[in-house]
Amino acid sequence: MSSTTKARARPEVADLAAITEQLRNAYGDRAITTHAVRVQHSHGEGLADAGMPDVVVFPQTNEEVAAIVRLCHAARIPVIAFGVGTSLEGHVAALYGGVCMDLSQMNRVLEVNDADLDCRVQAGVTREQLNGELKGTGLFFPIDPGANATLGGMASTRASGTNAVRYGTMRENVLGLTVVTADASIIRTGSRARKSSAGYDLTRLFVGSEGTLGIITEVQLRLYGLPEAISAAVCQFPELKGAVDTVIVAMQLGIPVARIELLDDVQMDACIRYSQLTEFAPKPTLFFEFHGTEAGVREQSEIVQSICADHGGDEFQWATRPEDRSRLWKARHNAYYAALALAPGKQAFATDACVPISRLTDCVLETQADIAATGLIAPIVGHVGDGNFHLVVLFDPAQPDERRKAEGIAARVSARAIGMGGTCTGEHGVGVHKLDALVAEHGDAVAVMQTIKRALDPRDILNPGKTVPRS
Amino acid sequence: MLDSAFTAALARLVPSSALLTAAEDTRPYECDGLTLYREQPAAVVLPDTEAQVVEILRLCHAARIPVVARGAGTSLSGGALPARDGIVLSLAKFRRILGVDPVARTATVQPGVRNLAISEAVAAHGLFYAPDPSSQIACSIGGNVAENAGGVHCLKYGLTVHNVRRVRAVLITGDIVEFGSAALDAPGYDLLALITGSEGLLAVITEITVKLLPKPELAQVALAAFDDLEKAGAAVAAVIGAGIIPGGLEMMDREATRAVEQFVHADYPLDAAAVLLVEADGTSVEVAAEMTEITSVLKAGGATEIRVSENEAQRLLYWSGRKAAFPAVGRISPDYYCIDGTIPRAALPRILRQIETWSREFGLPCANVFHAGDGNLHPLILFDANKPGDKERTIEFGDRILQLCIDVGGTITGEHGVGIEKIAGMCAQFPPAALERFLGIKRAFDPQGLLNPGKGVPTLARCAEFGRMHVHQGQLAHPELPRF
Repeated sequence: MSSTTKARARPEVADLAAITEQLRNAYGDRAITTHAVRVQHSHGEGLADAGMPDVVVFPQTNEEVAAIVRLCHAARIPVIAFGVGTSLEGHVAALYGGVCMDLSQMNRVLEVNDADLDCRVQAGVTREQLNGELKGTGLFFPIDPGANATLGGMASTRASGTNAVRYGTMRENVLGLTVVTADASIIRTGSRARKSSAGYDLTRLFVGSEGTLGIITEVQLRLYGLPEAISAAVCQFPELKGAVDTVIVAMQLGIPVARIELLDDVQMDACIRYSQLTEFAPKPTLFFEFHGTEAGVREQSEIVQSICADHGGDEFQWATRPEDRSRLWKARHNAYYAALALAPGKQAFATDACVPISRLTDCVLETQADIAATGLIAPIVGHVGDGNFHLVVLFDPAQPDERRKAEGIAARVSARAIGMGGTCTGEHGVGVHKLDALVAEHGDAVAVMQTIKRALDPRDILNPGKTVPRS
Repeated sequence: MLDSAFTAALARLVPSSALLTAAEDTRPYECDGLTLYREQPAAVVLPDTEAQVVEILRLCHAARIPVVARGAGTSLSGGALPARDGIVLSLAKFRRILGVDPVARTATVQPGVRNLAISEAVAAHGLFYAPDPSSQIACSIGGNVAENAGGVHCLKYGLTVHNVRRVRAVLITGDIVEFGSAALDAPGYDLLALITGSEGLLAVITEITVKLLPKPELAQVALAAFDDLEKAGAAVAAVIGAGIIPGGLEMMDREATRAVEQFVHADYPLDAAAVLLVEADGTSVEVAAEMTEITSVLKAGGATEIRVSENEAQRLLYWSGRKAAFPAVGRISPDYYCIDGTIPRAALPRILRQIETWSREFGLPCANVFHAGDGNLHPLILFDANKPGDKERTIEFGDRILQLCIDVGGTITGEHGVGIEKIAGMCAQFPPAALERFLGIKRAFDPQGLLNPGKGVPTLARCAEFGRMHVHQGQLAHPELPRF
């Protein structure tokens, strides 16, 4: 747990017993206290700082969520919203016990407005489910963090993904929300209008607030027309620098590439082995995807191809058939598991640095040299189009020296990114792991965040101990 | 009146030329672009360093004196209307462009820099700053951030909130805080979005890092005429429905077109019931492909005439009419009142029909100019303030339009802000539970309510006073509050 997190007392046993009883009476077998279910709801996918909730409840309506929050508010019991548990930063751990609210049964797509290019979904709808239901409308929802997360979870953590460079993050794509606040009010933020300057921007305040200011129960999302043409290409480079410089030039020219992913030689080697990408060599590599009209896609890819050639890149290898593209992106999405498979038995830290793109080459190359100096394995992979890259730093948990070195790499890449005007939480959020980093990066703003937290959740019941240090 | 000890303390913080207290000097600050409301400030202070801003705010905080920050004073909602017995904090002297990073495509500027001056300063790098409110030659970037300003290119490139990376601001306590970061995403709560559009109620902005975009290789605009307003509205929905996101998608009705034509001679068809301007930008290949699609959708939608700009001069000419629409209408009517409601696009034809009916009913002509692509209406109600009853009927007409916007799922302000003008409308749009959240945020930043008081967010007591409390499912909230 972070050193900046002050302890909060766990709820009284008698209060927990009372609320469990009330939840059982109201929701029957949708309120569960079995050990297995509590364990399953105690962590996400990151390094497990597990925190067991005392009871897990599965609401089905806004009113049920509000009723549960009302009970928790009255008894001052923590309440933690849970989607499908794909977070990497310990967002869902019940650090002080309490009630875990699993929103997976709120899984209906409420409306799709083709003409206005928007839709409204319940928080438990997953990204893949939504795109499945949009089939046939000619529309899609582009934000793709890799995991099949719920849209409520993606909004809460301000998720991003491989095509943020073209479509933005959840910040740009959530038009409005229904939120249950700490005092159990149900409020709607935003509107179906494309822009509004009425009142403070509550929508964006709740987006990324990680369940600490309110519980998101419905999300109004922006949709996009499926592009007429999509093609993907792979370009391999003799040196990492050429690959990174290519990205910078492409971004500077404003070419609307839908995705650009960088994999260094170590990561590419891992993906070749894990996902059988045998047609490629273990060299620094860029994956591209282009969306647009036939003519637009051709033009974009020709320009990018010539930039690659200028920086020593090989010929493009194309993937135009949908199955070839999905094989490629699946390999990219499995990069984390591929990295883990490089050294079975080892554990990993995933880092999340993001720098202004003008500093990307410096940051990536310094980091690569730093990793080499430690002798550890730490593949580099990232959505470099927006300056964001990750390391998967592998270490043997039985060897204190390796763990120390791994922590050193992670700490230095964060410091390096911050020193270059960037951040160490490009897209995974703060959760519990990055509280110290938040203070380091945004010391003066943290006090303001704490005041907002106190204003909207004075009893500190909503996901306590996350996102901002307790004050 | 300010007490003399306070004025003396203020005088110690800035050179004497930077403090205005004489009535004739403070008169120009009595209103902004919304001239319906006026209040002469007790003093105007014009600092030129952040350290002075800090000291001024500390002093006002200690003495509990209201502060209204002011940029270029072009707000259309009274955002910069002075507070009685308060001071105006003008940021007009913060005019420097502090740095441009052409690779990261950002510029760091002071808040008093004019919107257009940013694009001019970075043009040599082939870059521009996208949000372009019609007042862009005059309005300041600090005011743009405070109001989350829009413009004709926001459909494709987003509002101010999408184009700002970092804001440095001073709280009422004098503490300096940075919101956002030079990198793409900043951790923690999105305070940058919170400060953007907060209308000077939370902090005073002293420095801004904006995102810049590469200037498209080519831009072309199609001008399409329609013989029927509803057909034009439907064509807007058809363009978006076809998956096209034009660089700009604007609409003007006959009243507006005629006013504009007399003023700028933009070669608009005068017999059309509505004119659409649809812009495509990008590389020449993209523009050609998109323009073909746009013109075929417009034709299918019943356009009686379509002209595509053949060169940059012609493109600017077509746009000049739209950009000059407000002053043009100002020439044909003694007064006009600009409404700023925003609706889901599909409701456009219905709203236009209703506005036409009401225009006849009230006997007040209405020129419609709007950002059709994002459903942002700007009906301009023409009236004569010297004619008894005209102003009252105008305000009622405007209120009806805004209520209709709320009813169809829209909002009372798309881009001009709430200010003083729509404070009552806020009570109609937001139920008390949401207003309480707004007030909680305000208290977190400024518990004494010294920054731009009376604007942006109404107190619940005020809503009760207006008789405009949002009644949800028959449940009257806060029945304990007095009503008038």
